[in-house]
This record gives sequence, C-alpha cells and structure tokens, in this order.
Amino acid sequence: MEEKTVLEIKEPEIKSFSDFWKFFKEELKPKGKIFTPFNVITFPIMIVGYICILIRLIKGLGYPVTNLSQEFPWGLWIGFDVVTGVAFAGGGYVLAFIVYILRDERFYPILRPTILNAFLAYVFYAGAIVLDIGRWWNIYNPMVGNYFGYNSVMFLVAWHFFLYMLAAFIEISPAIAEWLGLRRIRKILGTLTLGAVIFGVALSTLHQSGLGALMMMAKNKIHPLWYTEFIPILYFISSIFAGLSLVIFEGSISHKVFEWQIPEEYHKAYPGIVFSLAKICALVMWGYLFIKLIVLVHDRSYPYLNSTMGFWYLIEVIGFVLIPAILYAEGYTRKSLLIIKCASILTLIGIIINRLNYTFIAYNWFVPLAKKYWPTPIELLITASIVLTEIWVFRWIVNRMPIVRPAPAWARKLESH
Amino acid sequence: MKKISRREFLKYLGSVLTLETIFMKSEGWSKEEKKEFYGLLVDITKCIGCRRCERACAEANGLPIPDISEEKNKEVFKTLRDTSTTQYTVINKYETEKGVVYVSRRCMHCNQPGCVAACLVKAMRKRETGQVTWDLNCIGCRLCMISCPFGIPKFEYEKAIPKIQKCDLCFDRFNKGLIPACVEACPTGALTFGKRRELIEEAKRRIKSDPDKYIPYIYGEYEVGGTCVLYLSSVPFEQIGFNTQLGYEPYPKYTTGFLYAVPFIFILWPLAMLGFRKAVEGGKKHREEEKKE
Amino acid sequence: MRKETLFLILLGALIYLILIVYGIKQVYTAPAIPPSKEIVITKPEDKIVIAHTEIFGSLERPQVIFDHKKHVEAIKKEGKKEWETCSVCHREKKEKLTRIKKEDEITKEKKTEERDVLVFEFPKKIVKLDKEAYKKAYHDECIGCHKEKLKEKKKAGPLTCGDCHVKEKEFVKIKYPLVEFDPKFHYDHETKLKERTGEKDCGLCHHTYDLKEKKLVYQNGTEESCYYCHDLSKKKRGPELSQIVKVTTEKRLSYQKTAHERCLSCHIKINKEMEVSKKKGEKAPPLECGKCHTGEYRTIADLEKVPRPDRGQPKTIFITQNNATAKEVYFDHSFHEKQYKTCRECHHERLKACKECHTVLGKKEGNWINAAQAMHNVFSERSCLGCHYNYVKSKKECAGCHFMIKPIDIRSLNPKETTCEKCHTGKTKPNVTSIAKLNPNQVKDIVKIDILSKEYKPVEMLHVKMINALIENSNLSKLATYFHRDEKTICLGCHHNIQKTEIDRNRAPLCRSCHLISSENPSSTKLISAYHLSCLGCHKKMNLDKGIKCEECHKESPKKPKEIVTEKNWKTIIKNTRNILQVWHPE
Repeated sequence: MEEKTVLEIKEPEIKSFSDFWKFFKEELKPKGKIFTPFNVITFPIMIVGYICILIRLIKGLGYPVTNLSQEFPWGLWIGFDVVTGVAFAGGGYVLAFIVYILRDERFYPILRPTILNAFLAYVFYAGAIVLDIGRWWNIYNPMVGNYFGYNSVMFLVAWHFFLYMLAAFIEISPAIAEWLGLRRIRKILGTLTLGAVIFGVALSTLHQSGLGALMMMAKNKIHPLWYTEFIPILYFISSIFAGLSLVIFEGSISHKVFEWQIPEEYHKAYPGIVFSLAKICALVMWGYLFIKLIVLVHDRSYPYLNSTMGFWYLIEVIGFVLIPAILYAEGYTRKSLLIIKCASILTLIGIIINRLNYTFIAYNWFVPLAKKYWPTPIELLITASIVLTEIWVFRWIVNRMPIVRPAPAWARKLESH
Repeated sequence: MKKISRREFLKYLGSVLTLETIFMKSEGWSKEEKKEFYGLLVDITKCIGCRRCERACAEANGLPIPDISEEKNKEVFKTLRDTSTTQYTVINKYETEKGVVYVSRRCMHCNQPGCVAACLVKAMRKRETGQVTWDLNCIGCRLCMISCPFGIPKFEYEKAIPKIQKCDLCFDRFNKGLIPACVEACPTGALTFGKRRELIEEAKRRIKSDPDKYIPYIYGEYEVGGTCVLYLSSVPFEQIGFNTQLGYEPYPKYTTGFLYAVPFIFILWPLAMLGFRKAVEGGKKHREEEKKE
Repeated sequence: MRKETLFLILLGALIYLILIVYGIKQVYTAPAIPPSKEIVITKPEDKIVIAHTEIFGSLERPQVIFDHKKHVEAIKKEGKKEWETCSVCHREKKEKLTRIKKEDEITKEKKTEERDVLVFEFPKKIVKLDKEAYKKAYHDECIGCHKEKLKEKKKAGPLTCGDCHVKEKEFVKIKYPLVEFDPKFHYDHETKLKERTGEKDCGLCHHTYDLKEKKLVYQNGTEESCYYCHDLSKKKRGPELSQIVKVTTEKRLSYQKTAHERCLSCHIKINKEMEVSKKKGEKAPPLECGKCHTGEYRTIADLEKVPRPDRGQPKTIFITQNNATAKEVYFDHSFHEKQYKTCRECHHERLKACKECHTVLGKKEGNWINAAQAMHNVFSERSCLGCHYNYVKSKKECAGCHFMIKPIDIRSLNPKETTCEKCHTGKTKPNVTSIAKLNPNQVKDIVKIDILSKEYKPVEMLHVKMINALIENSNLSKLATYFHRDEKTICLGCHHNIQKTEIDRNRAPLCRSCHLISSENPSSTKLISAYHLSCLGCHKKMNLDKGIKCEECHKESPKKPKEIVTEKNWKTIIKNTRNILQVWHPE
C-alpha cells in the first residue's frame, strides 16, 4: 500500500460532463497493489459467481441452481442476503439517529462508513432480491402501474427498500460531491441531510419490522417457539443491535485496512466509540431478551422448550444473544476491545441463525429430512460473489471519496455543528 | 387566501357536483345484479377415486394429461400426493375405520385469502364471484406460497419463465357460463358447483337427512374465515389429511395489526424525531450558555 | 494477544461450531410427531399388568409385568395340585345367599346358605385403599415369599426394585380377549351341573341384591345377566338398578372380579371333587387364563341349534298394552331369541317385558320413554324399528337397496295406515309367503342406457336377471319375506321416490324423468351421478365381486372422443404453453 497522507489528495476541477468522464476514468484505475492475497482469493470466486448468476438467469431456479422447493419457497438468498443483509444494514439508521437526532457528535467519525455500508448493503443485498424473484422482468410492477397490492406487507417492504436507498443515497451524496469538488451541489445536499435522515429512520423502523411481518401469515408453518404476534417488534429490535454489531466488526477491519486515511484524533477516539456502541448493544440486547421472555410467557410456548426445536431455540437465545450481551457488558466495563469484537461476531452469527430460522429451519420444521432445504453450491457461490462485490465496491469508494478520511476543509465549514 | 365571490363559489360547487354524478353513474350506480361467491362442494362419501376430475382439469387447462386407467390408479394411490405445477387437483386414498376414502386436494378459494393479501402486485386476485386467480403480472416472489395456510400455490422452479400454478375454478369457463371441468366430469356427483350460500344449505340438508353417513361438520364453512370450497365427510377430518387446527380467523388479519400501525408510525415517528432533535439541541445550547456564565 | 487468550477464543469458537452443527443435525432429523410408545400385547400368555392406576394415579416407577403361569408352575413344583395353587396367594371369603321361594307358594321359605368363594385379588390380606398400604402389602407378600423361597434354598423371584419394575415394559398394555358366555356355554353348564347335583339349580350362579335387606337373594324365575349389576363401565341405569350398581361400585365388584370369583371358585371345587372321585374321561373345568380367554367366538349361525336359557318366556306373543290405541303386534319371541347371542341386546336394563318399564304414557323406571318411542325409534339398537333398520343397512344382502331408502319414523307427518298395518295386524298371525320369480313379459329383460354414451358404448343392464336375484335373496330372509310380501316392493329399491301405485300399474318412470343431464342445481343429483351412485352403491354395499370396475358395465366405444371436457380455459392454456427456455423437467 502506498503511503498517502490525508492532505495530498488532489481535487478535480469539474465544469462539464467530459471533465467528469475523464476524472472518472482516471479514478477507475486500481490504486495500490493488484495482487494482494485478498484480491487473489476473492476475484476468482467473484468471477465464478457471476457465471453462476448468468446460469441462474438463463436456466431459472430449478435444481442445480437452487434447492428451493414447494415446501421451502425461500432459502439462502432471501433468508441471508435480503433479510439478514438488511438487518445488518441497520447500523446506518441507528447511527444516523444518534448523530443527527440525538446530536451525539462522538460517533461522527464512523458515521459515513456506516451509512455508505448501509447504502451499498441495500443496493446489493436488497438488490439480490432481483436474483431470487422468479419473474424478475416484472420487478418494476410494484413500483409503477395500476397493480398496487397495498394490502401486502411485501408491497410496503419493497417501496421502503426503494425509498430508503434514495434516503441513504442522499445521506452519502455529500461525500460524492466532495469527491468531485462540486461545492455548490455539496451545499444543497448538506441541507437535505436532516430530512433524509428522519425519513430514513422512519422507513427503517417500518421495513425492518416489515420483514418480520412477512412471516405473520405462516402461522401454521413456523414452530410456536418462534411464531408470535410480536415478530415485527423482535425483528426491529434485533436489527438495532445487529447493525451496531456489524459496525463494530466491520469497523475493526476497515480501521486496519484504511489506517492510512484516518487522522490522529479519529484514531484516539476509536476505542471510545466502540465502547459506547458496546454499551448500547448490551442494553438493547438485554431489552430484547426481556421481550423474548414476555413473548414466551404470553404465548405459553414454554412447554415446547423441552424438545429438539426447543434445544435449538435455547442455543440461539442463550448462546447467541445472552452470552454476547454479557460479553458486551464485560468488554465495556473492562474496556477490552478483544472481548467486544468476539461479542460482535457471536451476535452477527446469532442474527444469521435467527433470520434463517424464520426462513427455512423453524419454518415447515415438521417436513421429513428428505424434503428439507440445504443451500446448493451455486447459491453459496452467488451469495459469496455478491458479498465480495459489495466489499470491492466499498473499498473502491473508500479509497477515493472522503468516507473514512475526514471531509475536505471547505466542506467541514459548511457543517455548522 | 384569495377572496371568492358568492357567484364563483356556487359555480364551482355546481360543476363539482355535476362531475361527481356523471362519474358515479358511469362507475358504481349500475343496475347490475349483485354478484355472489360461487363455490364447490366436495362430498367425500361419494368419491370413488376414478380421477376423471384430474383428467378433465388437465384437458381444460392445457396441462399434461394423467393416465387414469385402473392399473395406473392402483400405483398412484400408494403414496399421498400434493398438487403440483402440472396438477391443480389430486385425489388421495386413505384407509380409515369406515373403509377406503378418496379425498380431493385443491385450492380452497378462501373468502379472505392469505395469498391475495400477500401479493404485492395483485397478481393473486379474489374475483367478485369468489374465484382466486393468478395473473401474469406476478413477479415470482413466492410470498403467496408462504402465506397460504393450505400450501396450495406451486411455483415452476424448473422453468426459466416460471409461473405460479393453482386451480382457478375454471374462471374462463365460468365467464362463458359453464361449470368447472372437474365438476362436469365427475360421474358420481361428488363435486357440485353453485353459489356458496346454496352449497352450504345443500350440505346441511345432506347431513340432516343422512346423519349416520356424514360427520356433522362442513369443512370450510368457517375455517380461516370461510372458504368457497367445502367438504363433507364420513370420517373425522383429521384422519384424512385435513388441518383442523387452522382456526377461524382469516389469514390476512394476522398482518393487519402491523399494516394499520404503519401510517401512524410514518407520521408520528418523524415528528417525534424532530422533537428529540430540538430538545437535545436546546439542552446543549442551555448547557453551553451556562458554562459561559 | 496472549497465548492463553488465543486458546480461549479458539476453544469458544470450537464449542460454538459443535453446538451449531449438532443443533442443525438434530433439528433436521427429528421426527415431528414422536412415535407412540405404547405397545399392545394381544397374546397375553397368562401375564398380568400390575399398575393399579386407580390407586396410585400416575406411576413413579414402571409398572410390573407379572407372569402368572410361571408362579402357578412354581407352586405346582412344590407338590400342590393345580386347583390348590390358587389359595396360596388368594384369600377366601364367605358368601351368604338367601333363597326365596316363589310368592304363589303357600310357604315362603327363606333359606340362607353360605358358600366359600375365592377372591381373586392380590394382595392376599384385605388392604386399605391408599398408596402406602398397597405398596407395602404388595412388597410384603411378593418379596416376602421370594425371600422365604431363597431361605429354603429354592429358585426364587427377584428381590430388587428394578427386576420387577422393568423400565422397558413401562408402556406395555396387555389385553385379554373377552370371554363370551354365549348360549352354548350356558347350556353346557346347565346340563353338566344338573347331572352333578341331580336337580336344576340356577341359584348356583344367579342371584340379585335386595336393597332393603342389603343381602344377596335368589328367587327362581328372576335369573338375569351378571352384566346388569356388575358392569361398572356402563353409566346410564334405571332408578332401581342405579341403587344396586352403587353398592357394587362401592364394594368394587366389577364384572371382571365377580366373574373370576364365581367361575373359578366353582371350577376349583369341581376339580377338587374330581380328584377324589377320579372319573375317567371327564374333562376338568379349566383353571388357566388362556383356556377361557381363547379369543375364539361362536357366531350366531353356530348357535342356531342351541336351546336358549329357559326362564318361562313365551314362544310367541301379541304385543299390546292397556291404554294402547294401535292394534296388537304379533311377535315371534323364540325366533328373535336366536338372532342374538345374549338377551341383553333387547332386554337392556333388566330381563323383563318391555311394557313393564315402557308404558303408553311412560314411567320413571323407563326413564319416561313411552312405548311408542321404545318400539319405533329408528336410531335405537333395541327398538323394533331400530333393530330392523340397522339390520337392513348392515346386512349385505339388504344394504344394496336399503342404503338409499330413508327409515320411516313415526315422527314422519301423517304416517299411513297401510304402513302401520304391516306389523299392527291385530290378534291374527299374519300369513306371509315368499314371492315368486318375476314374469319376464311383465318387465324389460335388458335395459339399454344410451342417453349419455360418449366415451363408452351404451350400458346393457340385465334387468330381469337382477330382479330375480333380489327376489331369491329376499326369500331367504324371514324379515325380508315379511315386508316384501308383494314382489313389486322390490322394484321400489331402484325406482325410488315414486308412488307404489305407479308400479302397480306396471309403470316405472325412467331415471331421466327426475334426474337432469346437466348439473346446474347443486341440490339435485345429475343423471350420471344418479346412475353411478345407485348402481355402484348397491354393488359395493352388497360386496359383489362383479360390477365394480368401469369395464364390466362400460364397453369401450370405437368412436371414443379424445377429450372429456366441453370447453377449455383458453387464457390458462396460453399461460401454460411450453416456453422456449424450459430445460430441466420434460413433462
């Protein structure tokens, strides 16, 4: 990696589209070493994944491509890419809420990477919906036309995804304007930020819980320990600590990778930010556990704990929610970054397990083994390639735009805190 | 606010009212007869397992025609089958204490269908006359499959241009004044087609006149809010593959709790957030001013 | 990072990985409905389940499976005879019976006799009905005996808890086949006991209970079935019987218990006597469980020649009552006796005449059910109409026509006199003869049904052959002969819902006169359904081998049309056309 100091980044002078195009082509060239271990491992996976995507578009969703069946209409793509991906992107709206609504400036350094991540997550993971949908050429139908199925939760979720992408784009657009050196546009975009944030948080509340409400009509198919009328609330609360855990986890990685972009004061503030996030996570997780307990008592489903599914439920709740919550609290009191990182990994795995439970593990749980759903290699490859593509795009953007590195001086003046 | 004269106001009111009457006349106030739900009554005691309904359905809908010869039937009845992308209705054989019973499995055409509530593009629609049909503007999201309490919609995974396949009570034929193909083909009258209200009366009459023959219960009368496909049986429904624990609540009601909250959250939450921001900022300013003093 | 921290983290990761993999494996392979653990044994081989759930409730330890035969053999090995083995474990009691002579005799002699009866209960001593006492009693007697045998250096049973309370046998259920004391058994017992004692003494087994004096009495001519008082499973009883059943329930004298007491005590006594008299060739009464609980039952046909118990019942009677307005009904009691294995099928409460409890206006003893209901209720199994209705619905020779014929209930509006008069003939015995075969000139020989033929050739129904077969059937049954006195009644089996006067005029309307070809109206059966339901229904109910498969009636037409639907769903067909890119599953 070449050493570059913060102040040496040159700003382009863009006055017309041809200027922009020349600048953009210049930016497309790779910065830094091409044959790093990360690139060498991930690039082939991505290429194979793209070929698989092509196969899926030509051949449909039949057996070698996916293992979806009439008993399990939703599998890894919806369960992991869309639902879990969107839960992980929850960090965006939580941090935007903390910084812009509760005006807590301490989190400002990690705000932009998180919002960028959220935006890219929605574009790629919610965009992965297009791959999973059987008749993808009709994807515009919910948006336009006289076929609005407004009695459907999915309609609400689809529209909110779309609108949230717009809101997140508006929130991240100041960085793009700074990258292109467009000062007047940057000023205009700065005024739109608060509106976009409020809009974005309201949208996020609704569609995070909406993803849970999608499963409300599968009452006779989901195991009673997981099915409850409070699924939307559980999904919403778990999205809060899921997003924050991803911020911690992914932040610790990008903190290392993009070290050269981070100024001294951000470096110093970083552990404090992580500890605060850990505290918030621990509190929210305790609240989540309490609500889970209330749900268990309200639905009178505790007899089911004494069964195989009950055992799996306890693994999910105790091993992947209770223990991380304790670890977060411990990490905060002992001020240990290591414990917090471990807790964040456990939480992320727990959220994946929780969302996959609702999709194909505790859904139609009574179906015999021969008919159960396993992801096929192609599904895994396509998922991997999407995730890796998102990471590559993230890296491309961070290496060029002021996301991790602080904004240029003229932009900082515009932000009247 | 511009001041408006009395004359202008009356002119405006008059034009609005005229437009409204014209609009309404062309839309809703027609003298057409009110449409009723039509349904199917499946009398399990009369079914002999000949599978002519499966064959007629395949012929009428352009699906592969099943072999319904005697030997093939013996083989086919060895396993319990589900409807599939090529069969909108299937017959299953059950051995019960009252002998062999043949049960038809098909879309129940619920009064308040879960699949219709789930469809975000209105590809699944409940027609005015009761049939639940699928249309080509579907995006293939498969939420209808998750929401159906009976697990009926089937998705053509193996095709590049997939569709959702399920019985639509021969909606095309119905519009030409005919009855569904399976009802026409049934040799023993196990399937009857008619207005749902009349079918329930007929079912109750059959139960009353032959109390030893029928279980005094019409499956589908109240299940999940009522379905247009009703069943009469001589053995308890749990023994022949019916789910009797579905409850009487129509499935869309499980999502209305969430959906009704949406407008409130959408309006109140942003206002609350603005309020929080103002409060926090005000508090900060106050503390800064105190520090200065 | 220190080495220890790294090790801890790796260990934690490993544990979590194992948990996830194990959890998913369990979740994916677990059966949704756990298989039922109950094992039912129908070949008991003299084993008995000791659980006493009525005393212990739900059991703490698994139930004990007791091998009765093994124990009897063990005691026999010690030199006891088979009939002596019982009293080793089972106690004796004295039973008092008061014999009352009939009331019309001048002197009412009351004789009280005492009998020795073995109580087939365990534990031997009388125990209080609570958990601790029972547990102690069982343990004292079972383990006590085992310990004694051990002391005598003989092979003994187990002493430790787990050897008797075997965990694997926790859910075993043993069912012994019910012993049916059918009329043949009764007749054999009657004859043999008459030989043995020299006179006919029903009091050896039969008795009733006097509620006022609170003791067992026997009066000649009042013998009844044990079930009346000792069947504790049946809940509903008349006023007098309820009182008696209260007593038997209190004393825990269930049918099972009293049957063993009565039967086996007598068998033991006779075995003892036979030991002394040593008559050659005489079969000893059985003492082993499996010898009585054989699971083999005689059919009504087997019992046709067996004389029924004689209690002075009339052979034929004219049923009538004091306030009855209807004419008398001739009733052949002896014929009806032979139609059942027990008297309880009709005499459900006590062995008395129906009219003693079911008077014209109803009585408390009869639960206020009046004579009209008692005789005519179509849904009862005991009333005249109910029994006949059940018979024609279940017997395969009758069910073919009768499954479609609705029962005539007296609650039907305006019951016709002609219907009532079939049974209410007055004080004359009806003269019923069998019906002759039908004259083929009167009815069509072969009926050709061709109005619906499309895929198949017209159906040729062998009309006269069928009718003659039905007539033959009818003549074999006394009930059928009684009611089908006129052969034209048989026509009404298929030509239903018409006036009999039409048949009398040799006119039977075609099915098509009422059953439409199209199926617009859900309440009316369409023609094709009418044909199949009545033809196939009859053939199935009569358990015929022929006439069930399509090809037997329908011969394939040479001009078979390819399709059976009239019009197609063109929009759906367009939707379903094969698409170009479909690859995987050729249909």
